[in-house]
Amino acid sequence: MNALRAQYPEEVERILAKYPAERKRSAVMPLLYLAQRAEGYIRAQDLRDIAEICEISITDVASIVGFYTLYYDQPLGRYHIQVCTDLPCALRGAEDFLRQLSEKLGIGVGETTPDGLFHLEEVKCIGACHRAPVFQVQGDGEIVFHENQTVETALAVIEALREQARAAKGEQA
Amino acid sequence: MTKLVTLTIDDQPVSVPAGTLVVDAAKQIGNDIPVFCYHPKMEPVGMCRMCLVEIGRPMVDRGTGEVLLDENGKPRIQFGPKLETACTTPVSEGMVVRTQTKVVADARREVLEFILTSHPLDCPICDKGGECPLQNLTMGFGPGQSRFLYDDKIHLAKHVPLGELIYLDRERCIQCARCVRFQDVIADDPVIGFYNRGRRLEIVTYSEPGFDSIFSGNTTDICPVGALTTADFRFGARPWELKSSASICTHCPVGCNLTFNTRREARAGGNPVIKRVMPRQNEQVNEIWICDKGRFAYHYTESPQRLTQPLVRRGDGFEEISWEEAYQLAAQKIRASQNLLTLTGGRLSNEDLFNLRELTLARNGQAVLYSDMAGGDLTASYGLAPGSNFGSMGKETAILVVASDLHEEAPVWWLRIKAAAQRGARLIVLNPRSTRLDKFATHTLRYAYGEESQALATFLPGAAVPEAYQAAVQEFHSAENAVIVYGSEGAGLAASQGLAQTAAAILAARGKVGQVNNGLLAVWQRANDQGAWDAGFRPVEDLPAALRNVEVALIAAADPAGDDPLLAQALEETGFVIVQELFMTETARRADLVLPVQAFTEREGTLTSGERRVQRFYPALPPRPQTRPDFAVAAGIGKALGLDLEGRAASLVFLRLVKTLPAYAGLTYTQLAEVTPQYPIIGRSDLYYGGTAYDNHQGLGVQLPLLPAARPVAVGQSQTAASVTAGEGEILLVPVTRLYDRGNTVLPSALLHQRLAGKTIRLHPQTAAAFGLNAGETLRLSRDGWSAEAQVELDEEVPLKMALAVRSTGIPCSALSAVRLERLTVASAD
Ligand code: SF4
Ligand code: SF4
Ligand code: FES
Ligand code: FES
Repeated sequence: MNALRAQYPEEVERILAKYPAERKRSAVMPLLYLAQRAEGYIRAQDLRDIAEICEISITDVASIVGFYTLYYDQPLGRYHIQVCTDLPCALRGAEDFLRQLSEKLGIGVGETTPDGLFHLEEVKCIGACHRAPVFQVQGDGEIVFHENQTVETALAVIEALREQARAAKGEQA
Repeated sequence: MTKLVTLTIDDQPVSVPAGTLVVDAAKQIGNDIPVFCYHPKMEPVGMCRMCLVEIGRPMVDRGTGEVLLDENGKPRIQFGPKLETACTTPVSEGMVVRTQTKVVADARREVLEFILTSHPLDCPICDKGGECPLQNLTMGFGPGQSRFLYDDKIHLAKHVPLGELIYLDRERCIQCARCVRFQDVIADDPVIGFYNRGRRLEIVTYSEPGFDSIFSGNTTDICPVGALTTADFRFGARPWELKSSASICTHCPVGCNLTFNTRREARAGGNPVIKRVMPRQNEQVNEIWICDKGRFAYHYTESPQRLTQPLVRRGDGFEEISWEEAYQLAAQKIRASQNLLTLTGGRLSNEDLFNLRELTLARNGQAVLYSDMAGGDLTASYGLAPGSNFGSMGKETAILVVASDLHEEAPVWWLRIKAAAQRGARLIVLNPRSTRLDKFATHTLRYAYGEESQALATFLPGAAVPEAYQAAVQEFHSAENAVIVYGSEGAGLAASQGLAQTAAAILAARGKVGQVNNGLLAVWQRANDQGAWDAGFRPVEDLPAALRNVEVALIAAADPAGDDPLLAQALEETGFVIVQELFMTETARRADLVLPVQAFTEREGTLTSGERRVQRFYPALPPRPQTRPDFAVAAGIGKALGLDLEGRAASLVFLRLVKTLPAYAGLTYTQLAEVTPQYPIIGRSDLYYGGTAYDNHQGLGVQLPLLPAARPVAVGQSQTAASVTAGEGEILLVPVTRLYDRGNTVLPSALLHQRLAGKTIRLHPQTAAAFGLNAGETLRLSRDGWSAEAQVELDEEVPLKMALAVRSTGIPCSALSAVRLERLTVASAD
């Protein structure tokens, strides 16, 4: 049985409905996002499931995961905090912002907090240069922008996420 | 006719068809523009930038559309501000290309410097070293020094098995994607791909088993660096130590042209051993490709299990005797007998078959071919006409493939028919279950096992056509050319006779006989079955009875006892059994006289492919002491009988053969060794263009003319499902072919063991349930005289009450037949 289909029957159908039946391979990227939603990364089983749904080879699906930086092939943390330090942002103090954030979180760039919630990343331009310092949070199947940040506002965002995760856990229990 | 375009490359004018790429136009006048990612068998992608050249075009007055002329009345040429890639730019009228200027040299040097920034430069231990495009082009055009820091090189894994056949060295890869594109575009097995990007990019495979493609070895030929190597050759030798011998693959009727690379080695007592098998270009047969069976299943020729001494039965065992004694004994037995049966296998050469035939006919014996497939007399008259070539078939041709899993039965035909279909040929696939060809077919039609001839007969002009077939039949009849390919999926002798007759009748009725790209093609089970038919060998319906009733059986290159216990029993009753063999097969074990023969790698000869192309193979290794070629053995026995048979050399036997067999009349070894220019131009001096496949200097072979048909064909009667039915507790056993079978010539190649067909039976889940069987459990099949055990595999595509069995796996299945099926044990849960 296709585990992805079993987990998200409606979502899979909704995604497939957007493409002609003979072009199922076009659905590969949204399906990968869908698969990434649950665990924050794409598992080997997801590759197999998506290959089956799209009627392409597993290797073809994997190459897409490998090519795009927003797909993860290993568990790195529930929320990816992606801070832009490209030139325009750097001119508005993004490097300093990142350094301080890293210190406050107690993890280096490319590391994950011990509770597995936050993974800190340095990224190239995300298209919001005029509102730097800027970062995006990728997690729970969404990407959210946070612009004109200070370390304090950023920490508040992070605290809110932590709260959100705790609440979600409570709901499950 | 495409329009010709004239351009100038380094001041040399050249005219080529419109649409030709600059790189190919240059190649035609001997100007080798360096490339990495471009390959003449694939669409260009412009990924590596190695082929940059200066391109100028005539200036045109925008107002009048006229070409502007300079003061000398010559067109004014405008060069672009940047260099262009010769591999992606098509030629245009009046174009001027410069490949030898300083800017071009600078560009080449810089591209190489860039490619080498993360290349390990471990040429001294690299398998490709010595025949490496990157090495050669760096020597030719590269910088002597790099400005990049050695410490900044990216290091990646160097011994990554992409499965057990192909190894990847990640840091040698230059990201040209030739391998990925070959697998996707040519082999339709997209099982390797790029992962990550930039300097971290690497080749990955996620298939099970890894790099799951029967064409995988070809990527090691076209990889322009030592990133992809075969497990077989890896660290085996340096290319410059290798000697080359031209040969022909003997594993299937395609007859791919090969080159054996050999080297003298201490472990062989200073004798040459085979280091690798490479494709040899023959654009009409295999182009520059071979399948992995052809590449990796040659080890049997060097097996230590080979027979090396004539043996005679003494009680339960064997005793060595001399060749002279052996010939005398054989002759004495044959002379004293009333009847002789000669049973031959299709891996023998034409010369072997001819001498065996002469020996047999002189004694009024029966010349029998060991095969479950009929129709070789029909292919001789209705076969593909000389000049036919899958490579030149397009939309004007309809190709009808019936009862064949071509991907497994004849891989390179699959590859070429698929390519023809992609060029527009109308491909109609008629098979009881889905196969890898369906995807490329214009029409895919199904019939029930046992009803192949009826299904095919709907293509006879005027036949009643069932609804489901109508579009396909119309398509077939509307095509200018017609090719019918039949195989042995689920079919035994009677069924394939029906198929061949029906197919011949269709072609005859439609007048599609004798013209180029028309005719009948049999997917024989062995390489030279066609040659055996041409020499007069015929399969017989009841082989056990035939063997039981003769006083002397002479068996060459066939192992009936190994395939079928009924045949083994029959041999026990045969008066005297002489076996010419490479190995102590089950048949040899039951023989009275065993004669050790030479492998095809140790001698010369000719083979006739399914397309009826006669091709020469040459010796690659010295023969084992005390072994003789089959034709010499037959001649030796013949001489002892007082017959005038030629046994000194294959070429001398061929001189007699062409005088006797009408289709071969007038052929000479010299003619078979002739070569005409082939396109694309590949070769040893220029490995970066086509890869390391060998160019052909030893002969393209000759396609035999069609013989006049003996009599008009009668439309086939096929064995129908009604004539074989499964009773209570029985199922119908359906024989199918797998490429990686368990034949005597495959098993000794340990490298392939993980991919060989298992001893399994495929059943529909419902059939399995009816017998109380689950997947993986063991069942027993039996019929009068034999029983065999096998594992259950479930497959929803198998029709109810039928079971698919793979030939050569020890389950006797020469035709569709009813067998008893019982559940044996529950497999242990591990
Ligand atoms: S492995 Fe070889 S053929 Fe494949 S991309 Fe790398 S260099 Fe090219
Ligand atoms: S396609 Fe047939 S002839 Fe060609 S290499 Fe494979 S087995 Fe040999
Ligand atoms: S440079 Fe940071 S968002 Fe554009
Ligand atoms: S870009 Fe032309 S050969 Fe690679």
